[in-house]
Amino acid sequence: MAMDPTNSDDLWLEQALTADAQATAYVADDGFTATVLSRLPAPATLPAWRRPVVVLLWLMAAGAVAALLPDLFYALFRGISALIVGQQFTLSQIAVALLLVSATTWSTIVYAMRAE
Amino acid sequence: MSSAAVSDAQLIARVLVQDDRHAFGELVRRHQSAVRASLRKLTAGNHALADDLAQETFLLAFRNLRSFRQEAKFSTWLYRIAYNAFLAERRKTKELPLPDSDDGDPSALAADTAPPLARTVALGIDLQRAMAVLSDAERAAIVQCYHNDLSHEEAAFVLGCPVGTVKTHILRAKQKLKARLGAWAPEG
Repeated sequence: MAMDPTNSDDLWLEQALTADAQATAYVADDGFTATVLSRLPAPATLPAWRRPVVVLLWLMAAGAVAALLPDLFYALFRGISALIVGQQFTLSQIAVALLLVSATTWSTIVYAMRAE
Repeated sequence: MSSAAVSDAQLIARVLVQDDRHAFGELVRRHQSAVRASLRKLTAGNHALADDLAQETFLLAFRNLRSFRQEAKFSTWLYRIAYNAFLAERRKTKELPLPDSDDGDPSALAADTAPPLARTVALGIDLQRAMAVLSDAERAAIVQCYHNDLSHEEAAFVLGCPVGTVKTHILRAKQKLKARLGAWAPEG
């Protein structure tokens, strides 16, 4: 804060306060930062058990849908594939495609979970 | 990381977006000295308590970083947290241990015959003792405006009171200090 030049009676006190502030201005770290960092809360991460359980639940849900609505699933897949590539696939071709997609998905999941 | 080139705002963004602990460490490194020095003054020289409160200040800052709206400087926001931590501790313990206030003769070295360096050191010691007789609010106002070099408006933000109150606290504090340190006042 700037000193008040209008009050010369206070000048010596202003100077003393400023000098005192400057004399005690720097405090060496001496491990203070490291102590603070060690006391920070742990980073928010999913519990180790949670991710495989979530994956398993999604697979179960997908399996349930496929089992309960086989005709709808089949018709939907054939319709989409006809729309995209302009031809109808047989059931065996669809099965191979699903197998490849599943293998790719599992490989990705295993890769993603490698750190744990 | 080139710490000098990175602003506080950028470091704060890294902490918030990436949970970057190194960025927060850099913020602590930058501001620890000022916060600890400020708390040492507020606690009348109790270094251990001041450092405990400073740690608490930075932990609270980390937890509440999302609420920092950048309306004030980051350092000013830290001073406010530190002051609130000090007040909470003060309420909890009622009375903080103050340094030895055995004054001796405060004017012993004030004579013009004392060497200039000795005069400065002795005045500093007497000033610290005199600060202990100020009320918490008066001492806090002096610390914010002189030691933390804040404007009256910034000090009001830190202390959570109107600007007029800050000015009143400073005026009263100076009157008390002048009375206490009268022997150091120039004659005439």
